[in-house]
This record gives sequence, C-alpha cells and structure tokens, in this order.
Amino acid sequence: MAPGLAGYIVRRLLWAIPVLFAISVIVFYMLRLAPGDPVDSLLGQRYREEEAALIRKKYGYDQPIHIQYVKYIHNLLKGDLGVSTRHQSFTVTEIIIPKIWVSTRLGIIALAVSFFLGISAGIYAAIARGTFLDPLTISFWLAIDAVPIFVAVPFLQWLFAVRLDLIGLSWQGFTSPNIILPILVLALPGTAGIARFVRASVLGVLREDYVRTARAKGLPERIVIIRHVARNALLPLITIIGLSLPGVAGGSLIVEQLFGIPGIGAESFEAVLAPDFDVILALVLFGSVLFVLANILIDILYAVIDPRIRLGAQRG
Amino acid sequence: MSTAVSTADPLAFETRAVSNRRRFLRQLLRKKLAMLAIAYLAIFYTCGIFAPLIAPHDPYQQNLTPGATRQGPSAEHWLGTDALGRDLASRVIYAARTTVVFTIVVLISGSLVLGLGLGLLAGYRGGWIDTLIMRVGEVLAGLPTLLLMLAITAAFRTRINDVAFWLQDNTFLGNDARTFVKFSIIVFATVPFAWIGTSRIVRSQALAIREETYVLAAEAMGASPWRIISRHILPGVLPLFVVGVSAGMAGTAGAEVTLSFLGLGIDPPTASFGSLIAAGAGPQTFERYPHLLLAPAIPVTLFFFAWNLLGDALVDLLEPRTQALR
Repeated sequence: MAPGLAGYIVRRLLWAIPVLFAISVIVFYMLRLAPGDPVDSLLGQRYREEEAALIRKKYGYDQPIHIQYVKYIHNLLKGDLGVSTRHQSFTVTEIIIPKIWVSTRLGIIALAVSFFLGISAGIYAAIARGTFLDPLTISFWLAIDAVPIFVAVPFLQWLFAVRLDLIGLSWQGFTSPNIILPILVLALPGTAGIARFVRASVLGVLREDYVRTARAKGLPERIVIIRHVARNALLPLITIIGLSLPGVAGGSLIVEQLFGIPGIGAESFEAVLAPDFDVILALVLFGSVLFVLANILIDILYAVIDPRIRLGAQRG
Repeated sequence: MSTAVSTADPLAFETRAVSNRRRFLRQLLRKKLAMLAIAYLAIFYTCGIFAPLIAPHDPYQQNLTPGATRQGPSAEHWLGTDALGRDLASRVIYAARTTVVFTIVVLISGSLVLGLGLGLLAGYRGGWIDTLIMRVGEVLAGLPTLLLMLAITAAFRTRINDVAFWLQDNTFLGNDARTFVKFSIIVFATVPFAWIGTSRIVRSQALAIREETYVLAAEAMGASPWRIISRHILPGVLPLFVVGVSAGMAGTAGAEVTLSFLGLGIDPPTASFGSLIAAGAGPQTFERYPHLLLAPAIPVTLFFFAWNLLGDALVDLLEPRTQALR
C-alpha cells in the first residue's frame, strides 16, 4: 500500500461528514417545507382535518421541523431509517434493501456490456484515425446515445416481442431471457461516452516512446495494441467505472418503470409521487454516500496502481 | 468607453485572439458532420421560435369525428393526427418551441449567469469565495440529480392550481399562466444542477489565465477587476465554456423531455416531446399507430444527436489530447 494512504482515507471520510450533513439538512427541509404532503396521498383529495392531524401526529409531522430533523438524525445514527408512509408497517430498510439488490445486479451486468462495447469501439476508432471509420464509429454510438430510453423501449419491445415474438415483456427474474431488453437499453446509451474516452486515451498512448520501441522491435501490431497500448490506455477508465457505480446501485427509474422491474429506481419514482418522506431521504443519502465512497475508491485505486501518484497533494 | 483606454491594450494580444478565433472557425467548418449538426440545429431552433408561423394547423384544435383521430400521414396532416384528432406535425413544431425556450432559459440562467459567472468569480477571486462556490458545487454534484428533480417538481406541482389562478387574475399571462407555472417549476428543478460542470471548467481556465503575464501587466497598470475579467480572462475562457455548454446541451434538453414523459414537466394540452412520446409509447400502440411514436421521436433524437456531434467536434478541436469532458 502506498504510504500515507490510511491517513488520506481518514481525511476524506472526515470531509464526507459535513458534506453528508449539509445534504441531509437541505433535503430534509426541502421535503418538509415544499407543498407536497404525504397526507394528501394517504387520505385522498377530500378529508376531515381531524384525520389529517391524527396522521401528522402519528408520523411526527406536527412538530417543528428542527425537532423532526434532530429526531431523524438521532434514529439514523442508530441505524433506523424511519418508516414508509406508502407501504404501511414496513420500515424503510425493509423496503429498499431488496430493491437495491435487484437494481445493482441488473446494473452491473449492463455496465459490463457497456464497457465491453465501449472499449472495443474506442480502440477501434483510435486505430482507424484518419480514415472515415473513426468518425463513423464514434458517430454511430453518439446516435445510439441520442435515442431517449423511452423511445428505445417501446420500439424494441415491439420489435422483439410483438413482431419477432422472441421474448416476453414481463419481468421474470434474472434467469429469464426477458432480461435481455432491459440490459440492452441500460447498456447502450453509456457506450458512446466510454468509446470517446477510450479513443482519446489510446490516441495519447500511441504517441508514447514505449509504443514506438515496441513497434521498432518488430512486434506484430496486434500484440502492440493489446499489450502495450490497451493496458496503459485503459487505466484512466477507473474514473469512469468508479463514477458509474453510484448510478448502478441507484437503478434506472425509467427502465425499471417501463419493464416493471421491482428495483430501487421504480420505487424512488413512486416514493417521490406519494411523497414518502423517509424513503426519499434514505435514497438521496444512500446515493450521496455512494458518490463519496466511489470518489475515494477511485483515488485509492489510482494510488495502488500508479505509485507515482501521491495522495493528498492534488486535491484541495 | 474612451479611446485612450482601448489603445492602451497590447495590440499583439488583440490580433492573436482574432486570428485564433478565425482559425477555430475554419477548422470547425472543415468538419462536415459538425456542419450538418449546426444546420439541423438552426432549422430546429427556427421552427421552435417561429412555431406559430410555421405550424400548418392549430396544435390545440381537436377533431373527434370518427376517422379523424389517429390518422396516418396524409397531404392534409403531414405526420398524421393524435388520439384527439390534433395535427401531429403542428404539435411537434410546438414541442420544438417548448424545447427551444427551455434550453435558452437554462442556458442563460444556469450556464451563463451561474456557470460562467460563478466560475469566473471563483477562478479570479480565489480565497474563501472560491472554496465556498466549489464546495457547494461538490455537494450538489454528489446528489442523485434525477431523483431530486422529480422530488422538487412533484412537490411543487401540488400547488400549481393556486399559483396559476393567482397569476391568471393578477398578471398579463392570462391563459398561459398554467404553462408558465409548470415551466418555472422544471427550470427551478433543473438550474441548481446545470451550472456545476460549466463553472468547474471556467474556474480552472480562469485560474490559469490569472497567472499570465498580460493579466499581471493589466493589474499593474491599475485596470479594474471588471475590466480584467471582461477583456483578458473572458476571451480565454470562452472557447472551453462553449465546448462545455454544447456538450451538456443534450442533457439539459433531455431533462425537460424526461420530466414531461413522466408527467411531471410540461403536460398536455401544451406540446412537449416528452408527453407526445408518452402518448405513442407502448408496443401495442406502436404496432397499430407507428406515427404516434415516430413523429415526435425522430426530430427529438436528431436534436440530441446534433448536440452530441457538435459537442464531440468542439472537444476534438480544442483539446485533441485530453480526455473527453464529462
């Protein structure tokens, strides 16, 4: 391990505390002060004020906001994320953990597909630089990236399920072939960004002296690309992988909604509409914690892989 | 402005800046794909701005007589009609207007005022102002954006009626009040997240330029901070700013389309690509009435594609070696 790494991790984690504190305050106050109220969705359009007061009392919404906040944080530190108003008698933890697990598995498969496609396309475009194949490859993926998910989904569903009748549309878990479409739709849009990143990185490495040396030695071009270029060019991808991870665990709201996948994305949409205060808060905090952790993870990986990088100096 | 001040500028710098700009435009012109993208965007924005003049029909005029709804494309209705018999071509053109107005509003408030302004401030002034702006940006960047945008829009939509009725009675907005309120909500939900990337780019560039000799010279000559920023730092920051904005434009426009698709943005009768697509989405609908999905989907996809291509070309021109901007 690189020297000073432990101290660096501790410093970054300590810095995360005020950041998360600020986020929790902003989101908590925003939810409570905004006009939306869970009582509306629990009781419908018309209700008697006494009923509403009873519910507000039950969940503690009748108390001053700062007291509600202190209570929330107090419970949070004990590991209690609160209760859901939408799913009566379930705690937030019971609701979100299984759904996060579904979204994460799905997201990781999609991420793998995305990186496979993006890395291949990026290396290919870089090697083809100067010919029309380079802009063609990149433009192709940029075009795919431009198709909104909610356009791609009905079209692909029509093509594969209605026209070709190859697969079904319902969600039947990870072993059913029906999973192919959600994975495709999740994986394809990110490919353009990865391809562009890899292409730029490969072009940079191709100019390095060690590549010229490898070619001068008479190594076949295939070996030069795989052993000398790709290995070095792909290192910076750690950043993109790291930054994609929070999104993976957060699930995709639209894809899950359109395919009926019981993931955290679909849940977050429902929670926002309800509104289900504690579930929204938990999801926002969860997303932010992942973001902070992913950034620390990226820095650590860089330090471990490339000893020239000394941590702590480059970030303010 | 007095002439004495402007002649005091080092002449060499002025000519260099101009020739750089020319070279940049020449290089951009040479990229055929980028030119196609610019041409398409010009058409799109023209259609959006002059929608009332271009649209062949009234986009709100319903026709519920049998056979008039969900017609396929014809000479009378180029892109067919929707479920209420409204002319789809006109609705698509009015949807372009929604997108155009939204992107311009966010461009001015989010990118120009907040992104460029805060970036210049942070980069030029440094110190605690810099720290404060960048820390706030860090906090905002760490939040799950779509979830919060949804939370904000969903929360404020419950009061749309109250505000809209008040505006209807007390301002000149009249019947446009509801649309205005919905529009304000999505702008309010988008802008807090729209400036961070831009201001980071601007800040780091401004930090570098601040140390240049010509800035130090101008400071030594007693130029005001405003003059230094506008005459010396801004010209150097602008190219990267343009790149950052065009690279992020598809995402900005996409936020409105996504929110409208989910029913939390601009909803009918006002036309938006999101709600138009929502009306045509679904595999069974597509089997029977493909034009309902294709008519709005193709123009808006090309719009995103054009911004993607333009952003890509600009990144390529300005930073051939470094990584793509996020």
